[in-house]
Amino acid sequence: MTPQVLDVREMSISYGSRVPALLAVSGVSFSVESGQCLGVVGESGSGKSTTGLAIQGLLTRDPSVSATGSLTIAGTELNPVVERGWEGIRGRTVTTVFQDPMSSLDPTMTIGRMLTFVAGSKAESLRWLDEVEIRDPAAVFRSYPHQLSGGMRQRVMIALALARRPALLVADEPTTALDVSVQAQILKLLRREQEALGCGIVFVTHDLGVAKAMCDEVVVMRNGCIVERGTSARVFGAPESEYARRLMESRLTMATDRHRPVGLPEATVVNAMVESLNEGRAETATTTVDAVTAEWNARSLLWSDFAPADVGEVSVPPGASPGAAPIAALEFTAVTKSYPTGGGIARLKTVLSEVSLRVEKRESVALVGESGSGKSTILRIAAGLESASGGSVQRSDVDADAVQVIFQDAGASLTPWLTVEQLLTERVRNSKRGGKVSAKDAARLVGLAMDRVSLDRALLTSKPSQLSGGQRQRVAIARAIVIPPTILLCDEPTSALDVSIASTVLNLLNLLRHALGISVLFVTHDLAAARVISDRILVISEGQIIESVPAENVSSTVSSDYARRLLDAVLS
Amino acid sequence: MLSFPETKPLAAPIGLPRLRWPFSIGETIAVTSLALVVILSIVGPLLSPYSPIIPSGDQFLPPGSRGHLLGTDNLGMDIATRLMVGARTSLFAAVVTTACTATLGLIVGTIAGFVGGWLDTILMRITDIFLAFPGPIVAMAISAALGASLSSSIVGIAIVWWPLYARIARGEVRRTATSMHVEAARMSGSRGIPLVLRHILPATLPTVAITASLDIGGVIAVLSALSFIGLGTPAPAPELGLMASTGMQYLLSSWWIPVLPGLCVGVLALLCNYTGDGLRGALRSRGV
Repeated sequence: MTPQVLDVREMSISYGSRVPALLAVSGVSFSVESGQCLGVVGESGSGKSTTGLAIQGLLTRDPSVSATGSLTIAGTELNPVVERGWEGIRGRTVTTVFQDPMSSLDPTMTIGRMLTFVAGSKAESLRWLDEVEIRDPAAVFRSYPHQLSGGMRQRVMIALALARRPALLVADEPTTALDVSVQAQILKLLRREQEALGCGIVFVTHDLGVAKAMCDEVVVMRNGCIVERGTSARVFGAPESEYARRLMESRLTMATDRHRPVGLPEATVVNAMVESLNEGRAETATTTVDAVTAEWNARSLLWSDFAPADVGEVSVPPGASPGAAPIAALEFTAVTKSYPTGGGIARLKTVLSEVSLRVEKRESVALVGESGSGKSTILRIAAGLESASGGSVQRSDVDADAVQVIFQDAGASLTPWLTVEQLLTERVRNSKRGGKVSAKDAARLVGLAMDRVSLDRALLTSKPSQLSGGQRQRVAIARAIVIPPTILLCDEPTSALDVSIASTVLNLLNLLRHALGISVLFVTHDLAAARVISDRILVISEGQIIESVPAENVSSTVSSDYARRLLDAVLS
Repeated sequence: MLSFPETKPLAAPIGLPRLRWPFSIGETIAVTSLALVVILSIVGPLLSPYSPIIPSGDQFLPPGSRGHLLGTDNLGMDIATRLMVGARTSLFAAVVTTACTATLGLIVGTIAGFVGGWLDTILMRITDIFLAFPGPIVAMAISAALGASLSSSIVGIAIVWWPLYARIARGEVRRTATSMHVEAARMSGSRGIPLVLRHILPATLPTVAITASLDIGGVIAVLSALSFIGLGTPAPAPELGLMASTGMQYLLSSWWIPVLPGLCVGVLALLCNYTGDGLRGALRSRGV
């Protein structure tokens, strides 16, 4: 029998600094044998990170934390909140790979110094760098963390963690900050090294795809409790608990049905949306709220059911005759962008080279690529936040109402000292169409926008810091659509959100675009999300659009190696 | 179920969030003392039976004399009354000076930081020129040129002090202007002055306010120094610096005449500094 490296029994942890004391983890039990990888999966607030911190002995410094239960690491019984006993364990028997290698590597030390400190000698350090598949170990040995790419830093982190030959490795979201294709390599590396060293791994993650690819066993956490446990194949194949089932359903794969809302019917956002939209077309439409809800429950509700003409404020321009080429909502013609680099006047770094793209009215186009591919630059140029170095950008409407943006970090995009109402009203006042409306009408528009994103109107007086991540993203969306734009530019609006919230946000965007007839340019690194939200997918690499495929059957139509790689990275 | 050998007690599960007094013990003492001094300097002169500029008793009475708590000066004027009025003038002048300099600096810095480009360059080079001169000496020259009075001292100090605030405000504005929420506000159609007032300035104000509160003590000292070398309101005005300088000749015979006003300036400046420190800490802990 393989030795047990970690045994957690009935562990509860509470944070007392908040009043009342917050029970972050309650009565959690699990164990890890050497050579085994256990996934701790959950959404934010599930207690997975606190569990991760507790088994690394990183909660002993906080006097407000208290714990009960038992924790045994490699035969030593320890208390997660008392320092005694941890000295020989933390960083030796238990080592860690953190989410963000930039902030967890010492910026003042070379990789070599850090690694030699752990591995003992330079030869051994170089061997470890070689082991984690770093191509030029000698050069990396002399480098500082900021000189390396994200993937390289995470490899160094893994080398640092493994060089101690730990019995237990805790990986806390180690690939969340990385590009999808790098993520796959890192996971493969972790798996291989684990087999070579025979250590146990506790893999904390919110990403079900990553957990499925990486772990032998999985525990699913929610509100501090374990709601489901079992072998990875069993939990992902046939989840027993309602919550786990919902999580699995929220997950997007290349097989997700993209014609109807994603996730389970409990994703109530759509119901609420349907309701508020139906109010708008009550006179003409035959569907009642009940009928739509019934349809939805029968899993037959399709995006195409939402006819834009019924409620849309965007109408076909008078000059356009049927059969004539439609006016594009956004058109890029041979757009280039380059930034000057530090090395002299003439040195330019080209970010975009001759990019041409066209987003038709009411069309949704996804722009998929990895970081540094130039996809965000395209969005910023389309938004007018940056200007192109060459080529031409055309929008169907030139006024400020034509384009709205939803940023990745909704929290940061809302001015912290203004209330939701102030933010939305300001948008109405600033728009060309809404500038002249009365205060009463402005308030009505703001209320309607809140309904459309299914936010309680009571939240109008809240400030962004009082809202959850999902609510903030909805406020950002409400601000963008309170005066419906011609085109909505989305910059990875779901990548910072939990899976279930992400799927409701995607549903919301899809519904809004179908119902209001808004064009969408959706920038993302996630091909699965792109497939759900868009009609057409543009694959971008190194500042050039290398492929344009219909979203319906991406997997069968992509031809370039790069797109294939992105496709493989969608862990299904 | 096993339990840990040492388990930290759970915090009380129910209760209202406590409103915490934001100052440490030292800062509390400073804040309270400053409040007392302010009240004393406002109320004191009204209650005092003596005028601050008319001799009211024997000359050179030492502190603790009957009827004159802190004694009288070379002309027989009551020192306690003169100190209270002097402290009031100093505090008021310092607050006015700091408010003027901070506002001026904030406006210049915000324009430079927000507009950028050539305007930024010009405004910042002007700022550099002011910063390149030795501040107190320029302030002396200006107030001397304008004629000895309190208002010319204030103008002198304001002219040499604003570049500091301009620098700070410009940095903060530039930092805030690139942040995501300002970009989002631009996308939602905010431009120009409304954008600055609603989305940028509120982030800048705390830093400027903290700097200003820390500067008041320094301004008190500089104002008194100008008055000490005779650039403030001429005698017999009850100004702390002036009182110290005219009393200097009696230092050996009647030490209290120059020492008490000097001490008063020191204590005022110190209290203001500690209070500013406390304010900074309190604002920081609120995450500003």
